[in-house]
Amino acid sequence: MSAASVAPASSARAAVGGVGLPLLRVRDLDVTYAGSVRALRGVSLDVPQGCVVAVLGSNGAGKTTLLRAISGTLPFAGGSVAAGSIQFAGRDLHRMAPAAVVRAGVVQVPEGRQVFAHLTVEENLRAGGLAAARRVRATARQRVYELFPVLRQRAGQRAGLLSGGEQQMLAIARALMASPRLLLLDEPSLGLAPQMVERIADVIAEIRRQGTTVLLVEQNAAVALELADTAYVLEVGRVALHGPAAHLAGAEEVRDRYLGGAAVKEGESAAAAKARIATDDGQRPVAAVPELVVEDLSVRFGGVAALEGVSFTVAPGSVHALIGPNGAGKSTCLNALTGVYRVAAGSARYGGIELTRLRPHRIARLGVSRTFQNLVLSPAATVLENLMLGRHRHGRAGFVTTGLRLPAARRERAAQEDKVRGVAELLELSAVLDRPVAALPYGAQKRVELARALCAEPTLLLLDEPAAGMSAEESARLAALVAQVRAELGISILLIEHDMAFVMGIADQVTVLDFGRRIACGSPAEVQRDPEVVRAYLGTPRREAGR
Amino acid sequence: MNQFVTLLANGVSLGCIDALIALGFVVVFKATRVVNFAHGSLVLLGAYVIGRVHENLGFAGAVLLSVAVTAVVAALVGAVLLRRVRLAEPGTLAVVTLGVDIVLATDLTRRIGTDLLTTGDPWGAKVVTIGTVHIPQTRVAAAVVAVVLVVAFLSVLRFTDWGVALRAAAERQETASLMGIRPGRVAAAAWMLAGGLAATAGLFFTAFPSPGISGSVGQAALGVAVPAAVLGGLDSTTGALVGGLAVGLTATFVAGYQDQLSFLGRGFGGVAPYLVMLLVLLVRPAGLFGGKETTRV
Repeated sequence: MSAASVAPASSARAAVGGVGLPLLRVRDLDVTYAGSVRALRGVSLDVPQGCVVAVLGSNGAGKTTLLRAISGTLPFAGGSVAAGSIQFAGRDLHRMAPAAVVRAGVVQVPEGRQVFAHLTVEENLRAGGLAAARRVRATARQRVYELFPVLRQRAGQRAGLLSGGEQQMLAIARALMASPRLLLLDEPSLGLAPQMVERIADVIAEIRRQGTTVLLVEQNAAVALELADTAYVLEVGRVALHGPAAHLAGAEEVRDRYLGGAAVKEGESAAAAKARIATDDGQRPVAAVPELVVEDLSVRFGGVAALEGVSFTVAPGSVHALIGPNGAGKSTCLNALTGVYRVAAGSARYGGIELTRLRPHRIARLGVSRTFQNLVLSPAATVLENLMLGRHRHGRAGFVTTGLRLPAARRERAAQEDKVRGVAELLELSAVLDRPVAALPYGAQKRVELARALCAEPTLLLLDEPAAGMSAEESARLAALVAQVRAELGISILLIEHDMAFVMGIADQVTVLDFGRRIACGSPAEVQRDPEVVRAYLGTPRREAGR
Repeated sequence: MNQFVTLLANGVSLGCIDALIALGFVVVFKATRVVNFAHGSLVLLGAYVIGRVHENLGFAGAVLLSVAVTAVVAALVGAVLLRRVRLAEPGTLAVVTLGVDIVLATDLTRRIGTDLLTTGDPWGAKVVTIGTVHIPQTRVAAAVVAVVLVVAFLSVLRFTDWGVALRAAAERQETASLMGIRPGRVAAAAWMLAGGLAATAGLFFTAFPSPGISGSVGQAALGVAVPAAVLGGLDSTTGALVGGLAVGLTATFVAGYQDQLSFLGRGFGGVAPYLVMLLVLLVRPAGLFGGKETTRV
């Protein structure tokens, strides 16, 4: 899957017919977080004047990191540019403070809108225009109100009271108040209803028509490829593909990446098949694992329904995947099942016990373990120490016995360590048990999280985006591991994933969420063919309708 | 009844002074997320400058100089800390302000020594009598000045570019920097403002009927600022005003009715504001007007 297979580097520039230097030119950009984790590796990208350039990729691919590097906000996240250059209109943006970047003419709309909720709409716009000269502010405001008439009506309202779509409009409007030459948009369609996504897309097209260059970061490939002239696909910090947007939209590779066509066959032959054989042996006591029955589960945040009447059942010893685009309610569902969020209605019974009314630690004691979307490990502690934390619920030695190192406590610790070493072996972590977690590569850290959850000896394992930020090979390896875990331990696994390719290989059942509702349910193959699912993931690009 | 009305009037006027102190404390917290334990010493510094120079410069000149000096010192403290704002946790910086407080308070106490410093204000020990209610003139002046300053401050916060920038940065610092707002400048201005407010409060905090300017003023002022700001909600200016009034009223009433409250022991007035603070926090953990801290898993 090299970039050359879709388009050679030169044709991307030729496609837009640009002469001379592009407005924004990124070359061989390397970004690291906390001095060790490499989030971007040798990324090069051109944004020609007057164009819309899209950057696609899954969670953790480095899209937001790229925007942070351009807008100078990496230090807020503990990151820094290790190598490479970022040139805007011939000026070097590298090492400029965010405020200076804005004054140079590059303005970013952050991911998740980030409106100032306590300020009025009018004050939000004013904050956006602070960097611009006073005389141009009135013109900018005029333009913004023409683009978004609804904001004029809501001028005196607090921004926190606006709907998600209106907040996204406000976030874009606020950035336009600085009259940027280059607008950076981070996931403008995130969590918005389809109609609102279309309106935002129209606005972006209009902004471009008015002469502002746009760099658009999107997970929604359908929207991005329709708007963009050229597109780049990032994968684990590298540019995996790039070329004219129309070309990429029709490319098999892009479809595969988003719908996991190829992975099903591979997965079937390797990991999943192995798992099925192992469970069919009947060696493992599957009967001890109860069923998880979720019925009509609803979660609301204020007036926003994050989850609306979702039902599914995780059969004992099966792998059940919960998938859907960003903002579909997947993590919300997991947080409701583990007692982090209160549910508004519905039930989740595990072996007849109602989970929704229990506190998180009580749920953990029932044998429900989870991993987190973003790593939640103690970075300075060793792998062994992190895994020992997972044994917490199986320890009996108290403060005094442990502190005095009495024989009982020592015996218990030795027994616990044996268990931990067993799990570490299963997940190929034996060699790194004594290393601090922070020193491990990202993929290994994800495995440590999985191992910690397994150390609690769960009967139900909840995995929140285990493959996020992994390359294709890493995620295939992880899929095999998950299948192996299920086969050897006979436990149920509820898996949340964004990456369909990962899910298709290992899941027995798939439930698809979109905007908090269940839109499909069935075997991986059934779900993959479901027109609703294809629409949710790839949309129905108007451009392709005529083909 | 008569005593009640007198105490109410005195409590409100003392509350105005307390509100000025709390406001400065809150402005710094709002802009930088730093709990400024040196705020009490800034109040002491403001009072000290007035006490030292009023004989030479006259009262008005002394107040102007005090406001300027305190604002500059506050900005310097802020600048020293702000250099590290990106590197350190606000909690660590709060500990640094404790150090600054100790240095400032120790030095000022040494400078005051055994001198009897007074503010040299024109109101002296005169008392206004309305009906049967007696209020010191300084307290009337304090209330008037506090109201004027608070109205001016709130208008600045609401209507000026700086005010919008401060509120934006207070809510989302990173996003604010994407708007071209320079968090460093906003914070420096907030520190200066806090210094100016501290100096003004220092004047009335040490004028009649207080015993005068001594090294303990700093601790006393911090003892007012913390409960007032915390019960109001730390990051809310409205909260600081309400909190200041609540602390002033509590202290005045407990002192006024101390005969009836003697079963609680002597010096109960010192802890009463904290008691009110704890009661408020039991019901509203984020304070009266504080923003809720929420975390996402």
